[in-house]
Amino acid sequence: MQTEVLNNQVQGLNIVLGALQAATGEICKNCIGLEGAKTKVGKMVKKLGMDLDAASISCEKTKADLQARIDSLSKAAEELKVAEECECQKTAGNCKLGEMCFINAEIDLMKLVK
Amino acid sequence: MAKARCGRILGEDTYIEEEDTTTLYFINNLRAYQAVLAALKALDQDICHDGCSLPSTVNKVIKRLGKLKNDLKASDVAAKEKESLLSKINSFLADANRLPQDTSQTCRKSAGECKIGPGCFATGTLSLIDITEPKAPKI
Repeated sequence: MQTEVLNNQVQGLNIVLGALQAATGEICKNCIGLEGAKTKVGKMVKKLGMDLDAASISCEKTKADLQARIDSLSKAAEELKVAEECECQKTAGNCKLGEMCFINAEIDLMKLVK
Repeated sequence: MAKARCGRILGEDTYIEEEDTTTLYFINNLRAYQAVLAALKALDQDICHDGCSLPSTVNKVIKRLGKLKNDLKASDVAAKEKESLLSKINSFLADANRLPQDTSQTCRKSAGECKIGPGCFATGTLSLIDITEPKAPKI
């Protein structure tokens, strides 16, 4: 059960990070939305690592595989390129998406994990 | 009339004239497809590669991009912008066509491998398109 929960989180974060990486090539690179998402995802990955440490997974290979995937997610989160000075791109008048925000919607993909 | 920046697609800044909601509709949709395709590429490295939801979603994306392309062609978007946006749609279509499209494989939930719950990552990514505004103009 613990392995399943951790695996689901890893799967979800992998997709979220894929989408966030694409956002770094967008105007979102200068946005506080992406800056906040980077921090949030970084914390989620860190927590996942701590949960894995605390988990009682008997199979060493399963644990090592999960650790490797978490390490890869951690690296991807760290490497998200965000501008040094960010401001909401809607407030700056650049993002005209409407009410919603791509970055928030991408983070919300984690809600699919039950 | 002055143009305002409203996004960056495939490394190129995009601009619209104030109140040009038709061009904005196409730009915002392409901004969404940029994110959706990135998420689908990540999914393709997961067990979803061997399932049926990812190919089904890819087929939907290809179909929707095809419709977007036809709508753009038929729209009154200025010729230069239209050409630029059409090339981006073609690039996204090429990206999508490199992803799995064979829906005959077994759903990974049915196969007992995907245990995320009732949701589905592949179909969930399409929600990124649904959040865009303005809604489709009458063409």
